[in-house]
Amino acid sequence: MGRIVGHLDADCFYVSCERVRHGSLRGLAVGVLGNQGACVIAKSYEMRAFGITTGMPIWDALPLCPEAVFVKRDFQWYEVLSRRMIEVARRFSPTVEYYSIDEVFFDAGGMTPADARTLQRAILDEVGVPVSVGLAASKTLAKLASSSGKPFGCVSALGEERLRRLLDGRPVEKITGLARRSARRLAPYGIRTCAEFARADRRLIRRLLTKRGEDLWWELNGAAVLPVRDVPALRKNISRGGSLAGAVTDPDRLAAWVARNTERLVEGLDRHGVFCERLTLILTFKDGGVDQRRATLPVAAADFAVLYEAAVRLTNACRPQGRGVTYMRLIAEELTARRHAQLGLFDRPDPRQKAVAVVKRTINEKVGRFALRSGATLPLADVYRDEANAYDVCDIYGKTCF
Amino acid sequence: MCFGIAIPVSDLPEELVEQRSDRVAARGPGELRELRFTFRDPRPELPLWHGNRLVIYPWGNRDGRVRLPRTGWCRRESLEAGLWSHLRPEAVDIPAAFGLEKGVWFLIEEGIRGILVRDERGGPHAYMLTQPASHYYRIMTRHPRMPVFLGWQI
Ligand SMILES: [Mg+2]
Repeated sequence: MGRIVGHLDADCFYVSCERVRHGSLRGLAVGVLGNQGACVIAKSYEMRAFGITTGMPIWDALPLCPEAVFVKRDFQWYEVLSRRMIEVARRFSPTVEYYSIDEVFFDAGGMTPADARTLQRAILDEVGVPVSVGLAASKTLAKLASSSGKPFGCVSALGEERLRRLLDGRPVEKITGLARRSARRLAPYGIRTCAEFARADRRLIRRLLTKRGEDLWWELNGAAVLPVRDVPALRKNISRGGSLAGAVTDPDRLAAWVARNTERLVEGLDRHGVFCERLTLILTFKDGGVDQRRATLPVAAADFAVLYEAAVRLTNACRPQGRGVTYMRLIAEELTARRHAQLGLFDRPDPRQKAVAVVKRTINEKVGRFALRSGATLPLADVYRDEANAYDVCDIYGKTCF
Repeated sequence: MCFGIAIPVSDLPEELVEQRSDRVAARGPGELRELRFTFRDPRPELPLWHGNRLVIYPWGNRDGRVRLPRTGWCRRESLEAGLWSHLRPEAVDIPAAFGLEKGVWFLIEEGIRGILVRDERGGPHAYMLTQPASHYYRIMTRHPRMPVFLGWQI
């Protein structure tokens, strides 16, 4: 027998986290609301049964489920429990790959389904969060297996019979990494289920879906192509942003949002130990318009001053005057690891700026996020006053997808 | 504001639940039982910690003959401005697991701050303290005011 890969995925993670500290939520239809209090970003299985979907505004959800209880999200708490979950998993496996805040892959060599049950039990007892576990010959299969067992399932796809049961009749869209567009391309060839995909001619899959699709084909046939890594791969980009709590027309307030998101972006770049060479800004306007601008930076950078200047220039290029900006996202691209950057880059653009950055980071790590921040953020005093705004989902360390 | 509150039956003394069996309601698919208190009830009441005893007293005042503010809520601003001082308000904690506003039930971590005042005959009346709503609360409930929560902000 070859490798065994495990996949562990928490069941309705945010709600489960809230239930850890608020026992009164157990058994109820619970919706976790985003920071604006408008949209359901996570729901319990009880709430899902009423037809409520993620992203649904609360005013649409309410008529479907008037008895639901709504909770404000608290990513800081979710991250604490995420780390606890990983700690438990590490006791069971030498290699644990952080995949997202509530999912890990792990090397399950030598593990039996009974061991996987023990792991599941340990996480429930020690962390309080129910998880589903999948065991299979590859990552793609393990993820399919865990999701087929939700909630609180423990599914092994090891052995021909179990594998057949997992793949038969399961739509190809369930395969992680296979976009809906790819599924549409497969349909004319009669490939609609995972089993049909696995049985299809490898060369046909490669022709239709390139190398990426072929990798998935191998994975589905039990040949592990994607390795389980201890360290997450270097990211392609880091982005920060979100809704601006209403339509912003005031130029100072808009500049303050640019400063805030730049500071969050710099924090992300620091955390990942990377510089970026390109910056993209996306603005959404009240009138429904979307503008996207991109700039190449003079040098690979992670300094606030350099990025803020570029971000302001991009914002002005979108001509936001009088239009009401409702959403902003900053994306740092072309990332390079700092240890690979040429010597001397650290001293740009100005040693004083660098000293300021170091002081800022040190104080904020000690006193709290955004305790020391750019003066340009002053018009957003109301936003900073609400502590819940200190954490946004994209600020969570290591989160790779959502 | 906060139009109603609920406390799971499992968090309450049995005899209190028996006394107020008409207030027991079931929530959701699991049929979990709780005690509900809303201002719309025929005789609105609030549970509160008085001394170290959990008691249930009338919620505010709806009776024109009683010389107390005819409402169920007390604005923190007016309390601080001394507008309630002549009633000698006593600070009390209102335990609550869930709050209700404009049809939205939301989680309450610990409870809500309130005041207890007496009418001419010495009868107790509890009022819920309110404050301007946070952005989150305003969007969630579409109400410009929210309760003053115990030890936690929404
Ligand atoms: Mg999950």
